Amino acid sequence: MIDLSILLQIVWTGLAASSYAILFAVAFALVVKVVKVWNFAQAGVMALSFYVMYAAHNKFAIPLLASVGIGLAATISANIFMDRYGLQTLRNRNSPSLTFFIFTLVVSEFLAYLLAMIFGTEPVALKPSIMSGVNIVYGVVISNWDIEAVCVTIGLLLVLYLFMYKTRDGQFMAAVADNPELSRFYGINVTRAYVITFVIAGVLVTAGMYLFGTKASIIPNTPLQMMLFAVIATLLGGMGRIFAAALAAITLSLIQGLSIFVIPSEWQGLILYVFLFITILFFPQGVSLQKFKQLMAPLTINKPLHKKGI
Amino acid sequence: MEYFISLAVLLGIYITLSSSFNLIIGYGGLVSIAHPIFFALGAYTTGLMAIHFQTNPALAVLAGGGVAFVSSAMLSLPSLRISGDYLLITSIGFQLGLLEVIKHVSFTGGASGLGNIPNVVEGSSRSAVFAIISCLIAAVVVWMIRWLLRGPYGRVIAAMRDDELAFSALGRNAMMIKLTLFAIGSGFAGIAGGIYAYYFQYISPDQFEILQSAMLLTMVVVGGMGSQWGPVVGAVLLLLLPQAIGFLNLPSSVMAPLQGVIFTTLVLAFLFWRPQGLIGSNQRQSEGGA
Repeated sequence: MIDLSILLQIVWTGLAASSYAILFAVAFALVVKVVKVWNFAQAGVMALSFYVMYAAHNKFAIPLLASVGIGLAATISANIFMDRYGLQTLRNRNSPSLTFFIFTLVVSEFLAYLLAMIFGTEPVALKPSIMSGVNIVYGVVISNWDIEAVCVTIGLLLVLYLFMYKTRDGQFMAAVADNPELSRFYGINVTRAYVITFVIAGVLVTAGMYLFGTKASIIPNTPLQMMLFAVIATLLGGMGRIFAAALAAITLSLIQGLSIFVIPSEWQGLILYVFLFITILFFPQGVSLQKFKQLMAPLTINKPLHKKGI
Repeated sequence: MEYFISLAVLLGIYITLSSSFNLIIGYGGLVSIAHPIFFALGAYTTGLMAIHFQTNPALAVLAGGGVAFVSSAMLSLPSLRISGDYLLITSIGFQLGLLEVIKHVSFTGGASGLGNIPNVVEGSSRSAVFAIISCLIAAVVVWMIRWLLRGPYGRVIAAMRDDELAFSALGRNAMMIKLTLFAIGSGFAGIAGGIYAYYFQYISPDQFEILQSAMLLTMVVVGGMGSQWGPVVGAVLLLLLPQAIGFLNLPSSVMAPLQGVIFTTLVLAFLFWRPQGLIGSNQRQSEGGA
């Protein structure tokens, strides 16, 4: 029999821990939606964002908030530089999707190796201590980090929602995502839409890395594994549905957390890969009610036959 | 002298790997960077068969290739059924996931690796024998790929790569060709893994991580993707380059990332300034870029 307070604790911890994963998933899904590129370079940019904040705070003794600001500036600059001088060049050449894939992957690996060369491969965290104060609410331990993470994530998603649906730039981004050629024809600045997309992705990535870096230690390769989570969430959510990717990230995170009841903790990491294959096999266009109905249809047809004993 | 002979063994292995990877990425147009996992599957299959069943070395190496062949077909089937783009994600997931399994399972030696693989060539000429075998296998692989691409099947592959839509409209099954190319390329990688396991007598999961993917991708892109001799030139160049850096006597904590930085910088440089690679295919050269 599972204790209710333990179950609540796991659910809450899973929700809080999914905060940064949501931000990474939304950043990835947004770039896929608007720029139509599987931006694997996000993993490298995530590492860059973290190490810039880490260096500013720990090596140059700059206050944490200012360090986050410096990290944000570096992340946005790296994103825009990559889009303007990398992706745009490939777009101008009408390069095949293979070249885009190779480019984003190699940028990611380049940044990871460069950071490993500069900072080494010893795990480091943003703060000297990753412990934070705790509060007990109805038997559930809620740390100050949990509250900060949930508030930051909800706040950023709310701002993103308002930006996407209530501003002209957000609507232009949706138009560019739908048809860049037609958008250009109607006078929409496609380049600006791409730049704004990467600026937003930079903000989400920096916030995510700040949250992650204040809770755990990382090495330059860590973001690659985290990126896979974002990719699976994007696939599960369905292409072009950025808030569905956020929901998928929460679900994945909760399933990972709750799996502790079923499988040993050392195998928990594998759940992600199992989900990857399930998603590719059964939900390549994302999870939707319609897809569920399609999958369940043969079962519902067969059911009466079984009942009849045929 | 021993040093150069060891280098020749590695050269043979990497020519096999890069040429087979080129068959997948350059000719098949299949986006996957998980080639090292099929190399690993071959190495582990051969190593385990040699340790537990004392299998004939040639059979163990072939079994390694067979396991890589079958598992790659099983991996690519669901991804290619939807879209080629999904193969990259599935293959990265397969690479990282399988390495995670290898690290946690005791019969593969776990994270500390699989040792005690029997020595099949005794004596002072051991390395020389392995160098000859490894280079011979590389030559056979390059020749087989050349034979495959110059025959009727090669024309089918070229037609598919040039215009998949038109190719499918003619009633041809592009997915089956891609699947076959992926399986053949991975099978060759498995064979290279078998030789690697027998020569070094020790394998560990971290030898097949993303750094290997970056290295193979660099060999193919720098040499010339979609050209027959490009990956051979790329493999020779990229294997000699770290040896040259080795003379700098840098600590290993700096050496590995430095190699990675060099490899990735080379790929980026070639991607933008010479997309056809050092030995580009005629078709790509005439197009003027990737």
